[in-house]
Amino acid sequence: MICSPPKSHDCIVLSNKRLSENSIYLTRLHCPDIAQNSSSGQFVNIKVSNELSPLLRRPFSICKVDKAEGWFEVLWQIVGRGTTLMAGYKVDDVINIIGPLGHGFHIKSGIESAILVGGGLGIAPLPFLCQDILEKSSANIAVYVGVRTKADLAMAELFNDFDINIIQCTEDGSAGIQGYVTKPLIEKLASKSSVPPVLFSCGPEVFLKRMVDISSEFDVEGQISVESVMGCGFGICVGCPVEVQDYAEGERKYKLTCIDGPVFDSREVLLVG
Amino acid sequence: MADLSVSIGKLKLKNPVLVASGTFGYGQESRALTDLNALGGIVTKSVTLKRRDGNPPPRIFELPAGMLNSIGLANVGVDTFISEKLPFLSELSTAIIANVAGSTPEEYLQVIEKLDEHDSISAYELNFSCPNVKQGGLAFSQDPKVTQQVTRMLRDITEKPLIAKLTPNITRVSEIAQAAKDGGADAVSLINTLVGMAVNTQTRKPQVHTVTAGYSGPAVKPVALAKVFEVVQNVDIPVVGIGGIMNLNDALEFFITGACAVQVGTANFIDPSTGEKMVGGLNDYCNGNGIDAISEIVGSLKL
Repeated sequence: MICSPPKSHDCIVLSNKRLSENSIYLTRLHCPDIAQNSSSGQFVNIKVSNELSPLLRRPFSICKVDKAEGWFEVLWQIVGRGTTLMAGYKVDDVINIIGPLGHGFHIKSGIESAILVGGGLGIAPLPFLCQDILEKSSANIAVYVGVRTKADLAMAELFNDFDINIIQCTEDGSAGIQGYVTKPLIEKLASKSSVPPVLFSCGPEVFLKRMVDISSEFDVEGQISVESVMGCGFGICVGCPVEVQDYAEGERKYKLTCIDGPVFDSREVLLVG
Repeated sequence: MADLSVSIGKLKLKNPVLVASGTFGYGQESRALTDLNALGGIVTKSVTLKRRDGNPPPRIFELPAGMLNSIGLANVGVDTFISEKLPFLSELSTAIIANVAGSTPEEYLQVIEKLDEHDSISAYELNFSCPNVKQGGLAFSQDPKVTQQVTRMLRDITEKPLIAKLTPNITRVSEIAQAAKDGGADAVSLINTLVGMAVNTQTRKPQVHTVTAGYSGPAVKPVALAKVFEVVQNVDIPVVGIGGIMNLNDALEFFITGACAVQVGTANFIDPSTGEKMVGGLNDYCNGNGIDAISEIVGSLKL
C-alpha cells in the first residue's frame, strides 16, 4: 500500500474535556486534512510544548473524526509531564501535529461480523474503527470494553453514537461484568455464532498477547494495534521495533510500529506479554 | 544575500547546515515535512555491507532535554541502499554524504567500493563512533593508531572527501582528530553520542535493552561545543559540529567556536524542518549583521 508522506499541521483546539476522575481526557482538534485523509488505526504525533522538556512528540491514536466539520479527537490520560501539559490546553490554542501516521486497520469489503476489544486506553482507536466499518460495510459490530473501574467507563460513552452492542467489564466489579474483558469475549466466541468475526483489539501488551492467543484458539482473523515508545513517528529514528515472524522468509525480524504498524495481523507479531 | 557556501576539501556545500546520520533516515521519509533542497547536505543513515536488523527493544528512552538511543545500526545494507534509497537522493539538489559503518576495516572498504561509482554521493562520513554495536563502532575512534590506519586504508581507495565521525567518549578527542588527519581525512565531525544509561527503579531494569546507549539532544550541546573547541584549537582540520543543535543560536555557537558546518540531529525527530529553518535564519542573521559570508563568523570566538 502506498501511503502519502506525513505532513505537519498547526491544529486548533476546539475542546479539551476531562472525561473521568482518573484524568482521562478527550481533545478535539480542528484539522480538515487529518480528518479527511486518515483511516482508523492511524495515529498523530503531537508536539506537546515548545520547551526542550518534554523533548519528543507524543503519539496518540485518532479516536474519532468528522470529515465534514474537519476535526478529529484523541483520547488520553495524564501519565507524565507531556500529558500534564496537554491537560492545560485551552480552546483556540494552536498545536503542531504530524499526521496521519502509520498503517491502520484493514477492513475487508464484505466483512459481516466485527468484534472490537479495547483494554483500558486501548479503547482510543475503536470509535473511529466503528465509524469506518459502518461506512464501508453492513457488518454486525460488538464492542468489548475492559477497564479497571467504573469511572473509566466514561470512555465507553464514545460508542453511544453507534447502534451497536456494547459489553462493559471492570476489573474491580464496580460496574458491568466483573473481571477481564476476555472472559465474556471467550464465552461469545465459544457460542459459535454462524459468521466468524474479525477480532480488532488495542490495549496493553499483556492484553494483546492474550488476544493473539484467543484469535488462534478460535481460528479467527485478528488485528491488533500495538503501542510503543516512539522517537519520531515516521520512520527516521528506527526506535520502535516490534518483532515479527516473516512466514514467507521463515525468519524473525523487526518491523517498525510507526510505519509498518501500529496495526498488525495477530499471527505476525511476536509479543513478549 | 550572504554567501553561505562552504568548502571542505573537494566537498562543496551550498550552506553549512546538514542533517546528521541516523536522524533523517534516507531523506524521503521527510519529503513532505521540509524542503530537502534547502539543506546544505543530507548525511544518510549508516550503510553497512549487509542489512542489519538492529538491537531488540526498548531502543530509546526520553530524558529531560535529551534521549538515549540504541538502534544498533539498523539499515537496509549497501546493495539495497543503492537500488532503493539512492535514486530518490540522487534527484535532490543537495549534497549527499553516505555515512559508512562496519564491524571490521574490510567492511568499510567493501561498502565504499560499492558506493564509489555513484556520482550522486558527494562524500563519505566514516562512522568510527557508534556506541551501540558489539564489534567495531567505538573501537575505531578510541585508539589513534587504529583511526589513522583505517582512514589511510580508505583514503587509498577513494578520491571522494572523507569525514571521520568521532566519539566524545575519550579523554583527548583532538588526538583522534589528528590521527584522522594523518590518515588522510578531509574533515572530522563531532560529537557522536555520549555513552549514557538510565534505570527503571520499579523493575530495576535498564531503560534501554543494551543497558548503555547513546545520549543525545540539547542536553549534550555544552559537551559537544567543548570537544569542537578542543579540536579546533589543536588540529588543523575542518570540523563539522554536531550535538544538541536545536535552533539557529545553537548553530551560531558552533560556527563561532570554529565549526565550518553543523549537523542537526535529534531535533529532526521533533521537527524535520529544523535545518531548513536554520538556513533561512542564518541568511537573515548575516544580512541583518552586515556579514557577507559565513566564513566571517567561523572561528570568531573572542578569548
